[in-house]
Amino acid sequence: MSEPFEPKIIAFVCTYCTYAGADLAGTSRLKYAPNVRIIRLPCTGRISPMFILKALQKGADGVLISGCHPGDCHFTHGNYHARRRWMVFRALLEFIGIPPERVKYSWISAAEGVKFAEFINKVTEDIRKLGPFEQYTQLIEETEAAASL
Amino acid sequence: MAKIGVFICHCGENIGAKVDCTRLAAAMGEHPGVAVSVEYKYFCSDPGQESVKRAIRDNNLTGVVVAACSPRMHEATFRKACAEAGLNPYLCEIANIREQCSWVHTDKDMATEKAMDITRSMVEKVKRNNKLQPIEVPVTRRALVIGGGIAGIQAALDIANAGQDVVLVEREPSLGGHMAQLSETFPTLDCSQCIMTPRMVEAAQHPKIRLLTYAEIESVDGYIGNFKVRVRMKSRYVDLDRCTGCGDCITKCPAKKISSEFDCSLGKRTAIYTPFAQSVPNIPVIDKANCIYFKNGKCKICAKTCQCDAINFEMQDEFIELEIGAIVVATGFQVQNNTMYGEYGYGKYPDVINGLQFERLASASGPTAGKILRPSDGKEPENVVFIQCAGSRDPSKGVRYCSKICCMYTAKHAMLYAHKVHDGKTNIFYMDIRAAGKGYDEFSRRAIEDDEASYVRGRVSKVWQENGKLMVRGVDTLLGRPVEIAADMVVLATAMISQPDAKEFAKTIGIGYDEYGFYNEAHLKLRPVESSTAGVFLAGACQSPKDIPDSVAQASATASKVLALFSKEKLEREPVVATNNEATCAGCWGCVLACPYNAIEQKDILDRSGKIIKRVASVNPGLCQGCGTCVTFCRSNSLDLAGFTEKQIFAEVMGL
Amino acid sequence: MSIEEQYRTRAKELLAGGAVKMVIGYGKGTTGERRRPIFITSPDEVERLVLDEACITNLSGYLVSEGLLSDEKRVAVFLRPEGVRAVNILAAESQLDSDQLVIFGFDVVGNEIKALKGIHVEEFADVIESLKESAPGVAKELLLEKIESMSPQERFSYWQGEFAKCIKCYACRQACPMCYCRRCIVDSNQPQWVNTSSHSLGNFEWNIVRAFHLSGRCVECGNCDRACPVNIPLRLINHRMAEEVLGTFDHFAGTSKTQEPVLASFKKDDSETFIL
Repeated sequence: MSEPFEPKIIAFVCTYCTYAGADLAGTSRLKYAPNVRIIRLPCTGRISPMFILKALQKGADGVLISGCHPGDCHFTHGNYHARRRWMVFRALLEFIGIPPERVKYSWISAAEGVKFAEFINKVTEDIRKLGPFEQYTQLIEETEAAASL
Repeated sequence: MAKIGVFICHCGENIGAKVDCTRLAAAMGEHPGVAVSVEYKYFCSDPGQESVKRAIRDNNLTGVVVAACSPRMHEATFRKACAEAGLNPYLCEIANIREQCSWVHTDKDMATEKAMDITRSMVEKVKRNNKLQPIEVPVTRRALVIGGGIAGIQAALDIANAGQDVVLVEREPSLGGHMAQLSETFPTLDCSQCIMTPRMVEAAQHPKIRLLTYAEIESVDGYIGNFKVRVRMKSRYVDLDRCTGCGDCITKCPAKKISSEFDCSLGKRTAIYTPFAQSVPNIPVIDKANCIYFKNGKCKICAKTCQCDAINFEMQDEFIELEIGAIVVATGFQVQNNTMYGEYGYGKYPDVINGLQFERLASASGPTAGKILRPSDGKEPENVVFIQCAGSRDPSKGVRYCSKICCMYTAKHAMLYAHKVHDGKTNIFYMDIRAAGKGYDEFSRRAIEDDEASYVRGRVSKVWQENGKLMVRGVDTLLGRPVEIAADMVVLATAMISQPDAKEFAKTIGIGYDEYGFYNEAHLKLRPVESSTAGVFLAGACQSPKDIPDSVAQASATASKVLALFSKEKLEREPVVATNNEATCAGCWGCVLACPYNAIEQKDILDRSGKIIKRVASVNPGLCQGCGTCVTFCRSNSLDLAGFTEKQIFAEVMGL
Repeated sequence: MSIEEQYRTRAKELLAGGAVKMVIGYGKGTTGERRRPIFITSPDEVERLVLDEACITNLSGYLVSEGLLSDEKRVAVFLRPEGVRAVNILAAESQLDSDQLVIFGFDVVGNEIKALKGIHVEEFADVIESLKESAPGVAKELLLEKIESMSPQERFSYWQGEFAKCIKCYACRQACPMCYCRRCIVDSNQPQWVNTSSHSLGNFEWNIVRAFHLSGRCVECGNCDRACPVNIPLRLINHRMAEEVLGTFDHFAGTSKTQEPVLASFKKDDSETFIL
């Protein structure tokens, strides 16, 4: 029991801002928690709520969504559309009982390597405290017992 | 069956020190569908790339994952290598295990675990990658330049001089724009007309330039290389082909007391008129609203005078359809209406004028033939007060930005005034003197040192009339005391603001604009003359306040962009574009609305008799930029994005 | 003359004169309290039309039946205000041309049937606007209040229990006028975003996706809730989402036939308090 819980975190990011910001964290040799796995999309507009559900199915204890700040979208409006979707989807997840701490949204620009590293560290720490997402794991296990996923 | 090659790069110590590449290669070698999994010190090196190519050929690989640095570094390198080995370049993906793994983690085990996840996820993606071909779009080699001011003229001439066709559209009756209104120009004090008119004539006579004046853009459809533009030729009531520009009609026109727009209301013009004597083309137009014939049905003196039978009162607006490959927007600016400054008395006191009006007074071709005279009584002012930032840098008036040219033209005005009225006194109220530019600071120093302009640092709170003088009350913040000056004339350095219809026009051509109505560049620093819409470029003050050198430089830059575009017969674009499954599309058109590029159209599917069977969305690959916003919106999952398909992303997540 | 008789008379005239080719209304159901949709094409059949407080099903979904409106002939339909809102959305989403409809508007207030004036959707704008105005003040169902006061874990368990009953019959989808897609995302298996087996995870995902696809579009007619054979309180999720889009984006689904879909549009100053 001495081993600390290492959460699994999956991030969906846009290539123009947050992915570049994550690269900058790397080129700046910043250090952050190794729990996050990044999936690169062209734009936050491409990030479907389905991705979040699939990440949870894959056993993610936390999901991150991040892209360009409002006004900075390479595709001019993709992040504005994304923001509306998130707003709605977030309310839905909350109502269904998925704690908002487990799905986090942020704007991280290509210049914000530090913000990226800090964001990953903070979320990893928060989710570590929250513990594994047992309720969702239970859904997966029940299903796997009966059918193949 | 997938045969994926996984190439794990040590990047020297950069990856190798933190990720156990041997373990990673072994693990990937075990993964279903992986035919080759090897590690190497530097895959981006020549021998490294060669080994990738060899592996592709030897194993007939169906996909390649290079686990290395960020795709932003070497995706292009490895895709090119794949193509050289006969593998479609879009079957190659990069697993970023340097910037996003080895460089940011300290624990070797955990970094290796993460590298495995990243690479495996990419392998799963690549299995579902499709062969993609770059999209080829034909290019119509004809440029449209909108706006016939100095920026538009420069852009048109540069493009035309390179041998490409240009259509130059100006909505006023003549080319020239604001520059034609100016007297002398800073910092050299050369006469604006003298340097401007030859350019206007050159543009009008250029065999490669088709000049459309008194014309407006009605609509713009299509996309880069393939725009369809509809232009409205407003009826001039004067036949362009017949008129010789003799000007007899203008002399005879009885409606003579119409305020001249070109002279900023300081002069008068007739109902049939050219904006100024050097107009290009030198063909008048009839101002319908002020023409006696159009108002009363009687007059036609111009028609009687004209020996060429060029006057045609029955003329109607005409429309011209143009096929265009690239568009330069050079629609310029307007000066802010200073009546919003009630405290300065603009519009109330005739001798409170704005900077552009002062230009007309100082211009040899202006209403006073270059003499500085008060509009109220025609007397020479002995004391002139200039107020800078009369509108600019004033959030309360909605203009937070600096109009950039006012410090310089105010210094110039003070000089011109000093040169014309030798014992005149000048006071300039300013916030800062912004004189960055070649010869600019020297110029403004000259105004102070040689021409004795007195600069007062502070704002003016009020201007009022008293005993025939304009009393200016302000503050000298350097001396910390109030100042009151009795002036004969007050000149406001008005803000440059966007054209009144700038936002509407932006929507017509499909480009973005900021809160002030200035057009948005694709990137402020690195792509300053491109709009966010491919094939539409920005020149001059429509993008932000600019002086003449900047406008001209930007115009030439747009010309080089246009010429680069025209240097190829076909455009090649990344094939990351959306596609629609017409069989499952429900035709709700949400995607049409959501698309930032208007790249999705409604399409009718017809049966043989021409009856509509169903209506679906259709993506124009020429316009689509590949953001994928539509894909996410699509409830029926009919839309998808090449390169980032639903299947690919699903597999990526499931591979983690 | 009762409203039922008035509408029968009008239906008869419209059918006899050829002004409409069909009247979609309510007829007697299998039990005394139930009404079923009927599709009348002959003036002789209008006596079958029933209009009473049991007429609660939103009939607008039948309007998008494949081919019904493709001949450009007109169809009359009995609609409550929710039904008119649904028609507005269907028109806004290009699924039908509302000019082809003749509306028999009515509402049920208590046990009373009230006629709503108007034939075209536009004429119901005031009724819909007043619904929008009063929406935030409508007392919440007790069960909803209870769910909202739960901790996330309790809520998860509550819905897990409810969704466990789901048999993936998709009656909710079939009953919903907004679920007009030719292929539902759940039927797409390349990739299979939603697990189709009726087990915990798939049930969870299906119900989330269904609610998300209806966000900003659901008019809360209750068709899905009534159709559910295992009594999952779907109305609560729908209500919560309607409340969310109204509160956050001032969007009340179906106010006009030109209303922009809430998730295909945006405002630059949309709320983003949750974004770090």
